Amino acid sequence: MRYADFTPYDLVLLAQGLGVTLWVFLVTTAIGLVIGLAWGIIRFYRVPLATPAIDFVSEFLKNSPVLVQLFLVYFGVPGLMHVDMTPVFAATITLSANTAAFIYVIVVSAIESVGRDQIEAARAFGLSRWQVLRHIIAPQAIAFSAGPLTALLVNQLQVTSLISVIGVMDLAKIGANLNLRTLKPFVVWTVVGALYYVAAKLVALAGARIEARLRAHAVFRGL
Amino acid sequence: MLKVENVVKAFGSLTVLDGVSLAVHPGEVVTILGSSGSGKSTLIRCINGIETLDGGHITVDDFDVSKPRELAEARKRSGTVFQLFNLYPHMTALSNITLAPIEVLKRPRAEVEAEGRALLASVGLADKIDVYPAQLSGGQRQRVGICRALAMKPRYLLLDEVTSALDPEMTSEVLDILAKLAREGTTMVFVTHEIEFARRISHRIVFLEKGKLITDLATAEFFSAEGGLALPRVAQFLSKMQKA
Ligand SMILES: Nc1ncnc2c1ncn2[C@@H]1O[C@H](COP(=O)(O)OP(=O)(O)OP(=O)(O)O)[C@@H](O)[C@H]1O
Ligand SMILES: [Mg+2]
Repeated sequence: MRYADFTPYDLVLLAQGLGVTLWVFLVTTAIGLVIGLAWGIIRFYRVPLATPAIDFVSEFLKNSPVLVQLFLVYFGVPGLMHVDMTPVFAATITLSANTAAFIYVIVVSAIESVGRDQIEAARAFGLSRWQVLRHIIAPQAIAFSAGPLTALLVNQLQVTSLISVIGVMDLAKIGANLNLRTLKPFVVWTVVGALYYVAAKLVALAGARIEARLRAHAVFRGL
Repeated sequence: MLKVENVVKAFGSLTVLDGVSLAVHPGEVVTILGSSGSGKSTLIRCINGIETLDGGHITVDDFDVSKPRELAEARKRSGTVFQLFNLYPHMTALSNITLAPIEVLKRPRAEVEAEGRALLASVGLADKIDVYPAQLSGGQRQRVGICRALAMKPRYLLLDEVTSALDPEMTSEVLDILAKLAREGTTMVFVTHEIEFARRISHRIVFLEKGKLITDLATAEFFSAEGGLALPRVAQFLSKMQKA
């Protein structure tokens, strides 16, 4: 067997790469979700100064390339602040922040999608801002945002492939290594692409499931 | 007592309420009349604390709506029924009714639900308990809206043109319920264009004109030649409404 041949062990490597990709995706999604939600809630409470600051950060994150953000965190931050930075850590920070910025946008529009008149009614009956958020806004906003959120996450899953550039051993990086060794780019990238496709499809299916359930539970028009 | 004293409310350069004073005693039905844009809804929204005041005071049983700490208490004492119902679309009729008693008054769910069912039954909606607002007719939605306000056992019921989004048949459904509440001694602040109905159920009628409260008279006096009708604006308004 020649060095350039495919071996069964390549499958193990691909599986490991896929694992890293999914792990980074899930962790950064979870962190992004928490931060994006927190930002949305801060904005809902109209916290002075915090809202413009969040808008500024979120605008920057949305309107600059993820690759640039990744380089900034991986190469720029250690030089500036004299801290050690591992590729996985840099990837986690960058992707979490980027996901948070987009989730923030979805959260804001979902909150704003809920009619003012119902919120006024609830306030007039004495519900606090938090109770309004929890009982009136959240259930409707979640149903509203399930679709856009699924679309975002499918996209963010693909975006994780950028972290291979700074040396994280994700699926794209494994693919690149395999390609260098075998020199069969068509086969390698087809297989890697198919794996991303399957993973993305699973995210989309899970999202559609959740969305259907949220809407079935709420048998009402207007969403 | 519900007391409105010298209330001023402006939106930018537009003064919508210009020194309005009004007192509503327990057991009274007070109707607010006035042409479109005269500030009736704004007055209701100031009483339930949706709008902030630019001058004057509003107290509900001595709780000042302008003081954040007292607003919560004031809001427990008034219940609003809205022109466009403002129901929570993601909740069933029953949940619409029980939300505030459970969350605000911290009452036990089972008890509140039993009362909610009884309220819905009393307005002829016993079979609509688990139905969402979108599945109800306008008149049925407004009956749920009334039940939602009543479930808080408010000392003052605030009604802002609660029938103006309804056709005549649905209007009479809702007015029948309000007439019954009035007979039972419910205190009401009632904004309406249903002059004849107002005449039947209210003790007093006040007239708003461009943000100023220009009369505050007992009902019979309001409709008498030497009372309300002696005022050109009121006479004009009433004759226009009766023609319509
Ligand atoms: N949020 C707001 N911003 C600016 N102007 C407002 C606002 N709310 C009400 N207004 C203005 O205040 C005036 C009084 O409005 P209001 O809704 O109190 O009238 P109304 O007497 O209830 O009229 P209608 O009989 O048509 O319901 C109107 O000129 C209206 O345009
Ligand atoms: Mg109005």
